[in-house]
Amino acid sequence: MSAATLRRLIVISLIALWEILPRAGFIPELFLPSLSSTLAAGWNEAGEYGHALAVTLYEVAISMAFACGGGILLGAIVGSLPRPRILIMPMVSSLYAVPLVILYPVFTVWLGIGSESKIAFASIYGFLPTMLATAAGIQTIDPQLLLAARSMGATLSQRLVRVIIPAAIPTVLSGLRVGGALVIVGVVVSEMLISSAGIGYLISRYRTILDSPHVFAGVLLVLAMAIAFNAAIKWIERKAAIWQTGTRAGQDAAGEVAPAALQPAT
Amino acid sequence: MQPLANITPLKPAGAIEVRNVGQIFKTTTQDVVALEDVSLDVKPGRFVVLVGPSGCGKSTLLMMIAGLRQQTSGTITISGAPIPEPDPNRVGVVFQEASLFPWLTAEENVEFPLALRGVTKNDRRARAQDALQLVGLDGFGKRHPHELSGGMKQRVSIARGLVQDPPVLLMDEPFAALDEQTRMTMGDELLRIWAATGKTVVFVTHSLTEAVYLADEVIVMSPRPGRIVDHLQVSLPRPRTYEMLSGDAFGSLRDRIWRHIRKSA
Repeated sequence: MSAATLRRLIVISLIALWEILPRAGFIPELFLPSLSSTLAAGWNEAGEYGHALAVTLYEVAISMAFACGGGILLGAIVGSLPRPRILIMPMVSSLYAVPLVILYPVFTVWLGIGSESKIAFASIYGFLPTMLATAAGIQTIDPQLLLAARSMGATLSQRLVRVIIPAAIPTVLSGLRVGGALVIVGVVVSEMLISSAGIGYLISRYRTILDSPHVFAGVLLVLAMAIAFNAAIKWIERKAAIWQTGTRAGQDAAGEVAPAALQPAT
Repeated sequence: MQPLANITPLKPAGAIEVRNVGQIFKTTTQDVVALEDVSLDVKPGRFVVLVGPSGCGKSTLLMMIAGLRQQTSGTITISGAPIPEPDPNRVGVVFQEASLFPWLTAEENVEFPLALRGVTKNDRRARAQDALQLVGLDGFGKRHPHELSGGMKQRVSIARGLVQDPPVLLMDEPFAALDEQTRMTMGDELLRIWAATGKTVVFVTHSLTEAVYLADEVIVMSPRPGRIVDHLQVSLPRPRTYEMLSGDAFGSLRDRIWRHIRKSA
């Protein structure tokens, strides 16, 4: 049996257990409502969940643009210039270790409890790993490659486009994978803490009234979002792998396990 | 009156002239003299090998001839003109690590310098094919570097250095990372390519055997500050053969180089 079929079997049996165990009475519905009652709860409130999903997706999309765009841009600058690197990198690295969620209440004071505070928080949260990975990716480019390009008469912009960017892509992508995942975490968590809309808000509201099927319906939506994001990154990695066949990082990126799947606790 | 284009240049293509060249590396604590008063004339089509102990500045000298580094004093001319920046039409460079771009195929690597200059795709492909054929890699163009052996990577690297047909080929310890057998084969291959193209070659190596085996002339350099301490003519007949390695003429040349290097070590 191949690993892929085995994986599918495990997922299918987990789904089956989710349905069977609560139904058979092994697990109280309050702790784990069965899959069918979860889906039914979600379906009955489809309008509410649809609206919440739209809010969350909007926040995720904007935060993703800030986190990835800003992270790649700043990472590229910091990675290629030694002076800012010495200044900024230690600060960013230690900031990365701080549980940034403690800042979220401050953001709500500054920006209100609407989408702005979520976007601010999730952007910063996802920005850090993206920037660190980009800086590392640019810093670790083999100087021999740049020297060779120069010996062939490559100008600075040609070296950037034809050497630095393709050489940095694998590391940048692994940073995007972590950064993007953190953006989703950041948005959902901040919605759960202090807010008035979004899936995180729904989960936390239904939890306070102990309506487990509706809580799990929200959880399912977040799960789907994360899976969709992962699939999107994999697609980009496959596209990029055409460029970087053969680099070790390229093979990592093409593999199933994300090299930097470790995330700090929120 | 003669049209301008018919006037022959004073220096024929491929001549290298190094005049009183010095190189000083400035560090925060002190200035290090890497090269001092180096003068050297290489006639077109000659195969010249630079040898010397580590840190004697032979690679630095090569980088300056390539236009990748500017000398602190003195002048360097290639085919009669100075080389303030790299010019792949005049000088091709082959590095120690093959330094191929891993995300490009062999032929795309060879095409790289042409692509920088906006040569059309078809033209590029045709010239890359010719260059790959010249180095004996016909049919390997679609492979990526990680699918090639060390020797094959260096062949691609040589093809890349030659693809614009420059009169001068500079090689910085190109075979140092290869195993002994591959190294011998690549030496013979290089001599074949050199004989077929008539390029001026300046070749840096640590290996005395390789130096004598390949060269028309061997330049021996001293450790820092790098100076030229000897300039040998290797008059062994060509084509060079494996049997010459054990001959007296070969041995005495290698001994002469070794005595210089041992003295300075």
